[in-house]
Amino acid sequence: MKHSFKILPVAVLTLFLAACGGDKKPDQKDTTATAASAETAKPKKIILFFGDSLTAGYGLDDATQAFPGVVQAKIDSAKLPYTVVNGGLSGETSAGGLSRIDWLLKQQPFDIFVLELGANDGLRGLPPASTEKNLQGIIDKVKAKYPQAKLVLLGMQVPTNMGADYSTDFKNVFPKLADKNKMTLVPFLLQGVGGVRKLNQADGIHPTEEGAKIVGANVWKELEGIL
Amino acid sequence: MDSINYNRKINFSWLFKMALRDSRRNRARLLLFISSIVFGIAALVAIYSFKYNIQNDINSQAATLIGADLSITGNKEPDKKLQNLLDSLGENRSQERSFASMIYFTRTQGTRLVNIKALDGAFPYYGSLETTPVQAGTDFKSGKYALVDKTLMLQFAAKVGDSIKVGNATFAIAGILNKAPGQTGLSAGIAPIVYIPFKYLDDTKLIGMGSRINYAYYYKFKPGFDVEKLAKKIEPTLDKADYGYDTVEGRKENTGRSFGDLSRFLSLVGFIALLLGCVGVASAINIYIREKIASIAIMRCMGVKASEAFLIYLIQITGIGLIGSLAGAALGTSIQHLLPFVLKDFLPIEISVQISWVAIWQGIGLGVIISVLFALLPLINIRNISPLNTLRMSYEETATKRDPFRWLVYLLVVCFVVCFAYLQLEDWVGAAVFTVGILVAFLILTSIAWLLIRFTRLLIMSGWSYIWRQGFANLYRPNNQTIILTVSIGLSTAFIATLFLIQQLLIAQVSLSASGNQSNMILFDIQTAQEKPLAELTRKQGLPILSQVPIITMRLEKVNGKTAADAKKDTTLRISPRAYAWEYRVTYRDSLTDSEQITDGKFIGKAEPGKDIPISAESRFAQRINAKVGDKLVFNVQGVMMNTYVSSIRKVNWNKVQTNFQVLFPAGVLEEAPQFHVLLTHVPSQTVSAAYQQAVVKQFPNISIIDLGLVLTVLDELLDKIGYVIKFMSGFSIITGIIVLISSIRISKYQRIQESVLLRTLGGSRRQIFSITALEYLFLGALSALTGIVIAVAASWLLATYQFEMPYKVNLWPVAGIFGAITALTVVIGLLNSRGILNKPPLEVLRSNA
Repeated sequence: MKHSFKILPVAVLTLFLAACGGDKKPDQKDTTATAASAETAKPKKIILFFGDSLTAGYGLDDATQAFPGVVQAKIDSAKLPYTVVNGGLSGETSAGGLSRIDWLLKQQPFDIFVLELGANDGLRGLPPASTEKNLQGIIDKVKAKYPQAKLVLLGMQVPTNMGADYSTDFKNVFPKLADKNKMTLVPFLLQGVGGVRKLNQADGIHPTEEGAKIVGANVWKELEGIL
Repeated sequence: MDSINYNRKINFSWLFKMALRDSRRNRARLLLFISSIVFGIAALVAIYSFKYNIQNDINSQAATLIGADLSITGNKEPDKKLQNLLDSLGENRSQERSFASMIYFTRTQGTRLVNIKALDGAFPYYGSLETTPVQAGTDFKSGKYALVDKTLMLQFAAKVGDSIKVGNATFAIAGILNKAPGQTGLSAGIAPIVYIPFKYLDDTKLIGMGSRINYAYYYKFKPGFDVEKLAKKIEPTLDKADYGYDTVEGRKENTGRSFGDLSRFLSLVGFIALLLGCVGVASAINIYIREKIASIAIMRCMGVKASEAFLIYLIQITGIGLIGSLAGAALGTSIQHLLPFVLKDFLPIEISVQISWVAIWQGIGLGVIISVLFALLPLINIRNISPLNTLRMSYEETATKRDPFRWLVYLLVVCFVVCFAYLQLEDWVGAAVFTVGILVAFLILTSIAWLLIRFTRLLIMSGWSYIWRQGFANLYRPNNQTIILTVSIGLSTAFIATLFLIQQLLIAQVSLSASGNQSNMILFDIQTAQEKPLAELTRKQGLPILSQVPIITMRLEKVNGKTAADAKKDTTLRISPRAYAWEYRVTYRDSLTDSEQITDGKFIGKAEPGKDIPISAESRFAQRINAKVGDKLVFNVQGVMMNTYVSSIRKVNWNKVQTNFQVLFPAGVLEEAPQFHVLLTHVPSQTVSAAYQQAVVKQFPNISIIDLGLVLTVLDELLDKIGYVIKFMSGFSIITGIIVLISSIRISKYQRIQESVLLRTLGGSRRQIFSITALEYLFLGALSALTGIVIAVAASWLLATYQFEMPYKVNLWPVAGIFGAITALTVVIGLLNSRGILNKPPLEVLRSNA
């Protein structure tokens, strides 16, 4: 230990990494690029996954192992003309997403918009009302720019230990928004994975490769219908 | 007389009798010598006693960092095998489940994310859960009670007795939690803590499928149990179960360098105490024996054998050493007991006062050994004192330079110093280095004294006034005290100044670490639109904005055209593939902060449109990706590729709570990129913290706040204590050093008596003698103090660089003060020494002293 207090700056840094979720997120452009270079002549339609570390594939070796990658694989094997763009950013909250969406709207056209945000809000105990407001803000911006785009909302729940009242309020945000904005809803993204020890990484919240496959299947179940 | 048997056996009782008889001749003078030994040993015993006591105090304080001897933590339920292990350890054990949850304040109807800790057992074993009211810290386990973090209480205007809802259970607030041991991890900072009794955990219904719970087990062992060894032994089992552990030693290492610095400092102080003891005892003994030479010569004339004379004085010195050491140990121990009592209103820390038998035995042993060792040197000369010496009244040193025993004695002295240094430092290399250092200092001082003797002889001009000539001549004439005084004054000054300088360095280091002006609150996830209003709100609350920076997440795409795949394939590139997997939190500015220093290249604060972007890389980051100034990096800023080159490499001081960055962009490119902001501030109290947090949460519900206050107070308290201990120990050692110095100058009292008296008899005026003495001591004092200080500066630089490993930045002005003070002190004591002669008629002095 060369410097005293090393513990704190290090802790503060790791905090950013932990709170913000992340490292390891091989490029979202990568997926686009590889998919784009896949032979087909006629332009493919684009599905943008806009989300946090779950979308980005925090802790996985490769972003293609995260659930958007799993969905891409299913699209490919079903021979559908869609390309998945991974717009995940570890640690993103709904408020962060509301700021970031402009950047993506400016440069990334899409046909289907999949919104996966809110998990970090829940883990930090932010008021569900503000999460709802931010998510609605994102949806409004998307609708304004691409009125034709189909919208999908991925529902999220918080761990049981947060308390029943908060859990219920939080869980209800998603069906309410989906209903109001006529979005396709995946009721709970982590269905069958959340809380199952061996499907999650050591931190207990990010799915393993195995877990991501189940998460991808959860999404595919609802998404398949609108492709 | 006619039948002297030179082959007679040694008659010990006679030797003892002679030793005693000889000492009777001048008890007053003997007392003076003993007093020097007493002060030397008292200094040593007092310093050692404080040292041992303080070490214990700090160690037990350090234990509050965890609150137990060992803690084992994990985030999943332990399996059967692990559970068996967990149940088998320790004398006392506690367990804790902690998790995030929303609590509800029933009366004020507020909801807040907290960190619930359900506790079972007597944890904390070290320190306590400090609560208001005090007894709540232990009583809350007796019923459905909770302890709630102070800031949280303030935030929700909650009072003791209010109820909170945790999950499905309701708890009454038994007390406000002010401080808790073991809360130094950052996890404590993220959310405020609420303690509940373990037995009501199930009632909350928060534990179950889909819960995220942390499991902690705390252990207390019997005193003396080797926790580290046990921890090493169970580590593989814990690893397999994804569990981790923490011990007091480990936590001390992680807490920073302060503990290491303190123990190194205490070793240094111990070592210096030993040398002070040496100086005190050795200078006394040396002069004492020299004065005995005439008596020895007379005894030889009377038929005493050389070996008998040697033994007589050896016995006498051992006796004197023993008496002096015993008295010194007693004095030292009483100082150690009295001082904290006397100073208790001034000392901000509590120093425990237990009799340290180790210190006492060490002191007595050292006293006797030093006395004998340093007496041996002049005593071996006794063997060569011929009876003629009396008749000649010669002051010429008896030539014994080639006596082989002399070298044996030198060797013994060196061995002794090395051994005792080892006892203090517990490191042979260190002990050897220190001993060599002392030898070098000793040699420097001796040669300075020797040069002084040579040069003053040449220097004195007949044109000088009598007083000047006489004053200077005293420095080289026979019976001069130049060498002995230069060495003892010089060494004492060197010790005092070294301690002073090192103390300065350490205190600067400790206060750098203490959080006084550092940030203790971090706000993050601030959106760009919220940046200005938040800054305004912060200022309006009277809080400083220590830093507010934008943070952009990006990833490294290429290093000089090489991608992650290339790096993985070709290890000769020496680019860590992990560098590509990492998400970088980057900021942009047009200038450097004062914790950054460019080591290579040039910092460019503004990007030119259309050209590659000049970035600054942190040195360790540059190393990881094997990049030099001018190398090209491509960053992927959330979908946009940015071509950059390394324009400079920075060294970052990661010492403080602040935002530091591996990669720094110039202004002009990232302003539009998706970003969030981080704000650091310093809140002076929990009340302010609560009000501020409330205001922020109300206006910007999405912003997350980390209050490091509670974390930092535990650490701060410790650092404060360490700082005071260093100040106290160095202050005390410096004072004892001065006392030893005084007493070693004091013993030169009888050196000058005869000459002064003769001068008086010859008609020298008081004034003249006064001036002569003053000049001699002034010159001796100034020269030795100066040499001592030069040695101290060199020594403290070496210590700072190699022992403490810190930059050498000291203020030398106070050292000039030390120089002046010691010179003045030497002159004053010299004059006091001859006061007796000046004030009494010469005959009286001659009668009593001749």
